[in-house]
Amino acid sequence: MLISRVWLAELLGDAVDLAPLSDGDLTAALTGLGLEVEGVTRTGAGLETVVVGEIVGVRPHPDADRLRVVDLFDGDAVRQVVCGAPNVPAPGGRVLFARPGTALPGGMVIGARAVRGVDSVGMICSETELDIGPDSSGIVVLADPIAPGTPLPDAIVGVVDTIIELSVTPNRPDALGHVGVARDLAVKLGSLWRPSPVALPEVPDDPGIVRIEAADACGRYFGITFDGASIGPSPLAARVRLHRLGLRPLSNAVDVTNLVLMQWGQPLHVFDRAELGEGRVVVRRARDGESLRTLDARDLSLAAEDLVIADASRPMALAGIMGGDHSGVASTSTTLLLEAAWFHPAGIRRSARRHGMSTDSSHRFERGVDHGDGLQGACAEAAALLQRWCGARPIAMHVAQGDRPGPVTIAFRPARCSMLLGMDVPRPDVERIFRGIGVEADASDPASWRCVAPSHRPELEREVDLIDEVVRHHGLDRLPMQASPPTAEAAGSPPEVRMRQRVTAAIVDALREQGLHEVVSLAFARPASVAATGDDPDSPGVVRLANPMRGEASLLRTHLLPGLLDALALNVARHHRPVTLFECGRVYRNAAHASGSGPTAEIDAALPDEPTRAAVLCGALPAGDPDRAAIDPRRVGAALLHALARVGARATIRVAASPMAWLHPGAQAEVVLDSGVVVGRFGRVHPQQLVAWDLPRGVEAAYGELLLEHVPDLRVPQFAAVPRFPGSSRDLSLDAAIALPVERIVSALIGAETATITSGEDPPRLVPGELGRGAVELVEDYRAQGIAEGRRALLLRMHYGCRTRSVTDTEVQQTHEAIVEAAIVQLRAQDGHLRRR
Amino acid sequence: MSDDETLAGLLHAFVEVELRGALTLDDAYACKVKYLGKKGLLTELSRTLGSLAPEQRRARGQEINEAKAAAELAYEARCAALKAEAEARELGVFEDLTWIPPTPPGTLHPVTRTRRALERVFASMGFDVVDGPHVEWARYNFDDLNIGPDHPARDMADTFFVSPPAGSRWSPGDLVLRTHTSPVQVRTMLTRRPPIRIVALGTVFRRDDDATHSPMFHQIEGLCVDERVSMADLRATLYRFVSAFFERPLEVRFRPSFFPFVEPGAEFDMQCPFCGGKGCSVCKGSGWIELGGAGMVHPAVFEACGIDPERYTGWAFGFGIDRMAMLMHQIHDLRLLFEGDVRFLEQFPC
Ligand SMILES: [Zn+2]
Repeated sequence: MLISRVWLAELLGDAVDLAPLSDGDLTAALTGLGLEVEGVTRTGAGLETVVVGEIVGVRPHPDADRLRVVDLFDGDAVRQVVCGAPNVPAPGGRVLFARPGTALPGGMVIGARAVRGVDSVGMICSETELDIGPDSSGIVVLADPIAPGTPLPDAIVGVVDTIIELSVTPNRPDALGHVGVARDLAVKLGSLWRPSPVALPEVPDDPGIVRIEAADACGRYFGITFDGASIGPSPLAARVRLHRLGLRPLSNAVDVTNLVLMQWGQPLHVFDRAELGEGRVVVRRARDGESLRTLDARDLSLAAEDLVIADASRPMALAGIMGGDHSGVASTSTTLLLEAAWFHPAGIRRSARRHGMSTDSSHRFERGVDHGDGLQGACAEAAALLQRWCGARPIAMHVAQGDRPGPVTIAFRPARCSMLLGMDVPRPDVERIFRGIGVEADASDPASWRCVAPSHRPELEREVDLIDEVVRHHGLDRLPMQASPPTAEAAGSPPEVRMRQRVTAAIVDALREQGLHEVVSLAFARPASVAATGDDPDSPGVVRLANPMRGEASLLRTHLLPGLLDALALNVARHHRPVTLFECGRVYRNAAHASGSGPTAEIDAALPDEPTRAAVLCGALPAGDPDRAAIDPRRVGAALLHALARVGARATIRVAASPMAWLHPGAQAEVVLDSGVVVGRFGRVHPQQLVAWDLPRGVEAAYGELLLEHVPDLRVPQFAAVPRFPGSSRDLSLDAAIALPVERIVSALIGAETATITSGEDPPRLVPGELGRGAVELVEDYRAQGIAEGRRALLLRMHYGCRTRSVTDTEVQQTHEAIVEAAIVQLRAQDGHLRRR
Repeated sequence: MSDDETLAGLLHAFVEVELRGALTLDDAYACKVKYLGKKGLLTELSRTLGSLAPEQRRARGQEINEAKAAAELAYEARCAALKAEAEARELGVFEDLTWIPPTPPGTLHPVTRTRRALERVFASMGFDVVDGPHVEWARYNFDDLNIGPDHPARDMADTFFVSPPAGSRWSPGDLVLRTHTSPVQVRTMLTRRPPIRIVALGTVFRRDDDATHSPMFHQIEGLCVDERVSMADLRATLYRFVSAFFERPLEVRFRPSFFPFVEPGAEFDMQCPFCGGKGCSVCKGSGWIELGGAGMVHPAVFEACGIDPERYTGWAFGFGIDRMAMLMHQIHDLRLLFEGDVRFLEQFPC
């Protein structure tokens, strides 16, 4: 909403003198009222040297057919100006003359020069050159005989102005016009202001012409018929005002409606009454199959919910939104019908939304315009202007009533106001504020005032709305800082919720400690990326957006891998460094599930599942060993194990029991909790995924993820006795198949220990090594010269000890041999050539 | 060859040849054993004394002892020299410690970092940290927050609607991606009785994508409900928060504004933490930085949540975590936050 300071000052008149206020003061006052100032533009600067010039003589240019040589009196002297405009008036005509030295708004500086051999001083200007209007077809010709030499800013009010752009919140429809802003400003500045009354024309009432059939949708309708109108341009000052407020001047009749809209916030329409069938207006719902071609040449098919302004037979306008293409005034119109009406906000909003239209008119009706004095004032103002500018003669009034909202009575308790604000506002101030904004307050019961909200403030419905008005005008900056003492301690989240918050935070910390960089990806997904991780994008489990922004990202992610691959692709396209990322976020899936308890549980059971995942992606086009180490899938697995260790969860790795199609079939593993639950997985990203993401050849990537819902709660670590007696270690050299996972060998050895040791008091057993190493460690995995194809030499170290005594070499040797023999026998089922080296 | 020559020759061979040729302490000790050991060459000479006349024996014995003493001294000296050499050699070694393979620290995303800092401060002020689902009921996201189906405020939040699962009884329009964290207020008030003091931090979504908007971003929302909670308490709380967060006292001011779920509603600014209000490039010279929205919980919201608006009052506030992160780290382009360039991410190691 653009506000003209000049117009505001004009409206406020003697009630409030804006002159002492700087633009900054004015901006601050508006901001203090909740009318946010988004921009301030000063117009007309430097135009003091543009003056009214009187044409003295016009003659052809000797050397150019299109140019004329004009003699012009600028108040001081007669100047010779060469002018190319087609509309130079005859002598006596008034034009706008820029004296030499003038800097025009476009930046051009006017001088004196010769044009095709004829001396020319200054310039006769068009609207666009002066930025006072959109017309560049010719020079400005003034209609009034203003004295030559009068500076432009004095000749036309509003050339020099400050235009303030307000962002008006939806609860302030009154501030969508200068009258509402003026009223608010006056209260803020400690005064009281009412718009000057304008009387409706005194003409006979002819109510049969307008009929409201949809009384629930149209509460009030003023129609005024005029004849003898002559359609043409508006006065220059009016056109300048419209231009300053960002509107295009069209014709006097239309300009009237636009100016009244900007003044009162009341949308109006002027029909060419000759175009109205039987010259009548019917406010009704559209009928099935009816259509309307709008002023902006769109063909709308109307539905029964649409409210239309129809004539005897057909819709002429979509009520409150836009007129039909033949409803408006044309240059030949002489009989006019002015419409000033109040339409129900919700209906206008639904219609505008369905037709995808938003106009200055619908914007205001949706928010609620004044159905009382404001409507009548706007109508009267428009009628007066139509008479003045178009020479139109009012001949009849047509007033119709629908269901108009009644007055809203609100109880206002000063004590409640003080309590809610934490501040006392003196009674005289409250009374002054209410009077200023038009709230009628009856304070005969001092504890509970009876207040009636004015019709121009439809959103004032409850006591808090009045309290809001009080504090808005009294000043939010006067609010003290005063803590309210709590009546009791507030409840906290259930312990299990807090626990999951702590687990998630610990996992994130752990992954970061592994040298990974946290990334946050958008939660949207393309069907192709959902398919890439093995989900059918059309399956009912995938959560779908009804109105995606870009057609592509129409789903919610089911997996973190695609987002991380997007990030990898972006990085690889930009630089050549290894990319080591992690993300902790939700994935989404429609699923029937139970969802806690309490009043929201039943409804929540139908919401998608939103489990949290923590995922790691390391990728690069490897250039050397450090890069390879950075993107080694074992590094990813180690990070997952570290994260689990960080929450005290013990986990092991095993070959994936149910391999993931999106990981390399030969290079993936599962992370399994001691409880047997698969808590995560990792491996090399399937080469086809890298191709699908258009990554350059040679790029490798490793991925891993933890399913946070399976990560156990943090627990208090429990002390176990520290071994007090020295143990002993034995090495085991094996010739094993590469395809035989080390995890299987280690499990077999540990399993064999349990099976082998049957008797004895405190026999030597496999015990974990120091610093958290396992009881069986892999020391070396050698697979080069001297080792057969497909095989490897493994060196394992096994740690033995007793609880209550030192071990002896002999017994350790015995136990070791027994365990190794038993394990090898068992493992031969998987590797027939397994043997000790 | 006389006995003298033999003695002198042995001593000479030991001191000048063998000891001098010994390059390690072990070599020197071997020489010592060869000459002075139980069966050493000099020791053996003493055994020949028995065959000499008594007067000769004494003289010869003394000569041999003197030679052995000289040999011992020479040995000690050589050992000392060798030790000194070894030490000098060890200290003379240059080890190049100037190149260490980098082990860069991992990093938290600036949004996570800021989110945690906010959680810490509010937790210390007695607020419980909660969150809710991202796919939310339009009812909780709008209707129960006093944003009815025809309310113009629905324009303010350009909403992603979620298609209801096939075969479900929900209609299009029932489910949305939450446009703010405010539905968490509703959920909390439906499930807890006052007094309530919570902050909800989380991801929110709006159909908006340009240089300054992302369709997904992050918000924090605070809610306090109790008997006789005032707007002055809201201001006091926000003052305590910004001062604790930026670790210096910073004023908070309100500007009237409108949010359907609060009344009176306001936007709140804080004094610029970078210049303390004097004016700098961050606050564009104004001394103030816009943070977010706040106000007193609208009685219609209480009614929707089954809380008696006559008995209880409350306030709520909310602001953008991403914006706060950008402010803290002086990040000028929102898009950097969500594209995942490691050269951006690695800049937040602490
Ligand atoms: Zn500053």
